[in-house]
Amino acid sequence: MSVLDAVRGHVDSYTAGERFAAILVGGFVAAVGLALVSGQLSGGYLLFLLGLAGMYVLLSLGLNVQWGYAGLVNFSVVAFWGIGAYSAALVTAPSAPIPLELHPVVGLLVAIVASATVALLIAVPTLRLRGDYLAIATLGFAEVIRLLMLNERWLTAGGLGIAGIPPILRGISEAIPQVRLNLGVARIELTHGLTNSLLEFLAVATLVLVVFLGLRRIQRSPWGRVLRTIRADEDLARALGKDTFRFKLQAFVLGSVIMAIAGVFYVHFNRYLDPSDLMAIETFYVWIAVILGGSGSNRGAILGGLSVIAILEGTRLVNALPLLAGVDIAPLRLFLIGLLVILVIRYKPEGLLPPQHEHIWPEATQEADR
Amino acid sequence: MTVSERGDRSESERGEPLVAIDGLRKEFGGLVAVDDATFSVERGSITGLIGPNGAGKSTLFDLVSGFHTPDAGRVELSGRDVTGFAPHEVAHEGLVRTFQTPRRLEGMTVRENMLIGPSGQTGESVLSLLTSPGTVEEEERANLRRAEEMLERFEIAHLARQPATDLSGGQLKLLELARAMMADPDVLLLDEPVAGVNPVLDAKLASYIRDLNDSGITFLIIEHDMEFIMGLADPIVVLDRGTVLVEGTPETVRGDDRVIEAYLGGGGG
Repeated sequence: MSVLDAVRGHVDSYTAGERFAAILVGGFVAAVGLALVSGQLSGGYLLFLLGLAGMYVLLSLGLNVQWGYAGLVNFSVVAFWGIGAYSAALVTAPSAPIPLELHPVVGLLVAIVASATVALLIAVPTLRLRGDYLAIATLGFAEVIRLLMLNERWLTAGGLGIAGIPPILRGISEAIPQVRLNLGVARIELTHGLTNSLLEFLAVATLVLVVFLGLRRIQRSPWGRVLRTIRADEDLARALGKDTFRFKLQAFVLGSVIMAIAGVFYVHFNRYLDPSDLMAIETFYVWIAVILGGSGSNRGAILGGLSVIAILEGTRLVNALPLLAGVDIAPLRLFLIGLLVILVIRYKPEGLLPPQHEHIWPEATQEADR
Repeated sequence: MTVSERGDRSESERGEPLVAIDGLRKEFGGLVAVDDATFSVERGSITGLIGPNGAGKSTLFDLVSGFHTPDAGRVELSGRDVTGFAPHEVAHEGLVRTFQTPRRLEGMTVRENMLIGPSGQTGESVLSLLTSPGTVEEEERANLRRAEEMLERFEIAHLARQPATDLSGGQLKLLELARAMMADPDVLLLDEPVAGVNPVLDAKLASYIRDLNDSGITFLIIEHDMEFIMGLADPIVVLDRGTVLVEGTPETVRGDDRVIEAYLGGGGG
């Protein structure tokens, strides 16, 4: 009884947005659970989807730093993702045109350095100008990166793509013994493949958690406060003595590096990469995720990333319904996403989980609050 | 620096130019907005800047505060050449400005607004947030206390946790002034502080400005409300077509034929 009351009290303290998000997530988890039990969805595929979702969440968190915190319009999300992905693939894969076959950790470091350098190269000339210039520069840059990866075959293997990228936790999954459990209702078979997927899921979940906690820490601070001011009114921040260029640069580089890390994770997870992964639509999926979740909100970015992947992948199951058996999925998917964006902007323009906390160092307000 | 130290200093040094503007000129595509403007703001004064629409007052503010780079001329702050400095550098030299249209910071509370003011906060560096959270916490506490005191001074402390977007136009003007004070300025440039404010608050604002002035803050104020500025500022600088037309006490300015001419007839030129 008391547990129930506690839960009720907790739920009462939720905002309308939080309640809606909780229902959404709860319903989704229930649906996935049902699909899993009924055999519509295999455990391995579910883990694959969760890995993909983790990647989208990382991308959304990265874009949220740029757009949500600082109001920077970056249309090169997929390019920074690609820089991370290609850095990792080229450094680690045996099938790369210049095979280096280094450890994935080296790939991660190369990805971070490369994405930070490129972010600086784009941001330094454009961030001093009006906001529109960054948008235009990044829009063009994404296409430049895609064409570079497609045409510089000596380095990237071009349209052939790079296959056989090693898993991120190479060697570990083989070390874990295979297990077969027979629980009567469910038979759990822990093969090497499944163990590996499980470890990959844990890796991305840890990555998301670390990035989320780190970002939350630095957002609720004087740094986050200055970025918020820049987003609302840059001239005011300058008049109050803030070197806004420096702050915008930091936000842009930080966000881009997070996107690159998402790319690194993806190639070790998908084991294959080619330039068709670098289409501009991916950038806009991430934008939709951030706007849907609530610009400026880290929790919102997570919810938005999950929602987008649920729609993108969930629509695959549509053909399982007899009524909709003949429906073409691709246009339906875009239609659903378009509808969702219109609904959110019409009825909840600040997003599902808009930012709630003041940009003040939390420890400093505890005494004043109580 | 405490307010009283500031006050002492201003007593002893009253009369020397704090802001010296010399031969400033700015052209926008053939239109001369500011043309050889020369005047100075004495330390400890409340200097008024008036002139008909289009006289170049706001452009002059932009030039002095670093938002525009002058085509010619110099700006000095306490004898230091700050011509061509970026806005944040000018602010660090002790000159803080406000804007004509009140800046309503969306998604921020009143006290968050106040905390933007202090310059050079440790927590403005990402690295320090991770390496010295203790210092950040102490600074935040101190700044929160100061913000509360400042809000109390302007009688809007009860609004500390309200979203800034919920404030009335008048309250926003007070917040702007309080926020600028958090930056610890030597001189405040106010661009039309009473535009769109009701007469009751007018008088209040005037008394706040006088109080701050008594505690050592120098003011340069653009204002169209003649009654307000004539009652508050001395001297008054009249700008017309980018040049200083007259400079003097409110009485001199009020009786000057050239000023009357500029306001009544000169607008068309």
